[in-house]
Amino acid sequence: MRTRAIKRPRVARKIRVAQESRVVVMAGILSACLPLPAEAQIGSVVVRSPRPFGLFVGDRFDAKVEIEAADGFAPQAASLPKPGPLTYWLDLTAVSVAPGPARDGHRLWRLSLTYQTFYAALDVRRLDLPAFTVTFASEVAHATTSAVAEVPGWQISVSPLREIQPPPVADPVEYLRPESPNPRLDPALPRALAWAFASFGLAGLLALARDRAWWPFRHRPARAFAAAWRQVRRQAARPDAEVAYREALLALHRGLDRTDGRRVMGEDLAAFLARHPAYAALAQPLDRFFRASREVFFGRDPSVAQRTCPFPDLMATARRLAAAERAAKAGGRS
Amino acid sequence: MTTTRPSLARVLQRAWGPVRPVMIVTLPLAGAAGALACAGLSWRDGNANRTIAALEAGQDRPVAADAVPEVLLARIRFLAARERLDEAEPLIAALDGSGSPALRALAQIALGNARLRQAFGKLEAGDLEPATPLVGLARQAYRRALTLRPEAWDAKFNLDVASRLVRDFPERGREQGEEMPADPKKIWTDIPGQPRGLP
Repeated sequence: MRTRAIKRPRVARKIRVAQESRVVVMAGILSACLPLPAEAQIGSVVVRSPRPFGLFVGDRFDAKVEIEAADGFAPQAASLPKPGPLTYWLDLTAVSVAPGPARDGHRLWRLSLTYQTFYAALDVRRLDLPAFTVTFASEVAHATTSAVAEVPGWQISVSPLREIQPPPVADPVEYLRPESPNPRLDPALPRALAWAFASFGLAGLLALARDRAWWPFRHRPARAFAAAWRQVRRQAARPDAEVAYREALLALHRGLDRTDGRRVMGEDLAAFLARHPAYAALAQPLDRFFRASREVFFGRDPSVAQRTCPFPDLMATARRLAAAERAAKAGGRS
Repeated sequence: MTTTRPSLARVLQRAWGPVRPVMIVTLPLAGAAGALACAGLSWRDGNANRTIAALEAGQDRPVAADAVPEVLLARIRFLAARERLDEAEPLIAALDGSGSPALRALAQIALGNARLRQAFGKLEAGDLEPATPLVGLARQAYRRALTLRPEAWDAKFNLDVASRLVRDFPERGREQGEEMPADPKKIWTDIPGQPRGLP
């Protein structure tokens, strides 16, 4: 890569030592006639550009300015060139500064500049980029010292896009580029995402149906209480309360029998709970259920049973049994 | 390691207990919500593409300022091609707020082309005076397009065409920059009003 380098050593000038007013005057005189240490504050200034040629109208191009400054000196942000139009054909679009490596009491400061040219060239020609200055300041004890680095102007070479005399056309509009087709939206990505979400949701729905023993997992052996709860709930809608109560009791009995794999009677409850500790929290409601069942099927007065364990209680018990069953057999492992 | 592993597994298992019933209900709901949202987006994109196709085919479709940027651009181009630039202004402002730099550059190019076509019309009719500001407006639009997207080659080419119609000169008193008096014979090379061939 060929770079363009302009070396300007010893261009620095001491501006002021602002401790006392008379020192300022002294410094002005001294800088004019004496080799001051201030001259060493700014070393070489080098401008590098990776491609300062072959630029068309509207092209952006970069420049790197390397400024050697004494240790402790830093460029003042306010003195950097501001992004914006510089001349009628040149914009400065970006400016940034970063400290580089330090060596022999000097630090290399790297200034990155991005320009944009709007020069509509008729032939290949060289153009001058404006020079600018950057103020470096040092904060030493009791005094502020500043030095100015002068970045020299440099040249770029711009190229034309078209021949000087284009062939004549019937309609001058033909000189213009035809408009490109309007950009379209791409619905493929949201469509693919919609399908992915839909299949994900369907898989989740299947898992939920299996967990709750909904259709088509209605007759899952591992969800006996879920089936019982469904039957009890259906009884609640029946007009004949007596028959509904009996059917609900029978449904719960079937659920218990299927869960245990054998017939469970009232006196077996303790053993059942020992075998299935997941339902231990429901010992009292189950006890009431067995008493109510005995009253209905073997007792004389079915209304006593409805007092021992009213129908809403029965429903609540069935629902809690189904929930305990789901929690105990999570994922259908048993 | 041997002691922490089973305990970690146990902790996870204990945490999974209360989380599971919530998860198993939330997952299908989240899936359905996501599928609905994405289907809505896809439907909107399809609708926008149909509107763009209609505008490209020359059928006028009303477009609100809060429409998709691509639709805004299609409408701006439709209006610019018919020299209805006053109607396009609010849409360009809306596109500047919502669109990507590439789309905004395309809108500026359409605007510049419209101005330049107007200028060509004036020049063909022999009205040189009103053509100059129109060329200036076109150049401004192309320059804005290039600021937004420096690799917009159509804008570069058309800016070159416009620049040869009316060149700008460095202002007097400005020291920076190039100073290059151009040969007037070379500047006015492709003025459309130039006589073509012999009478």
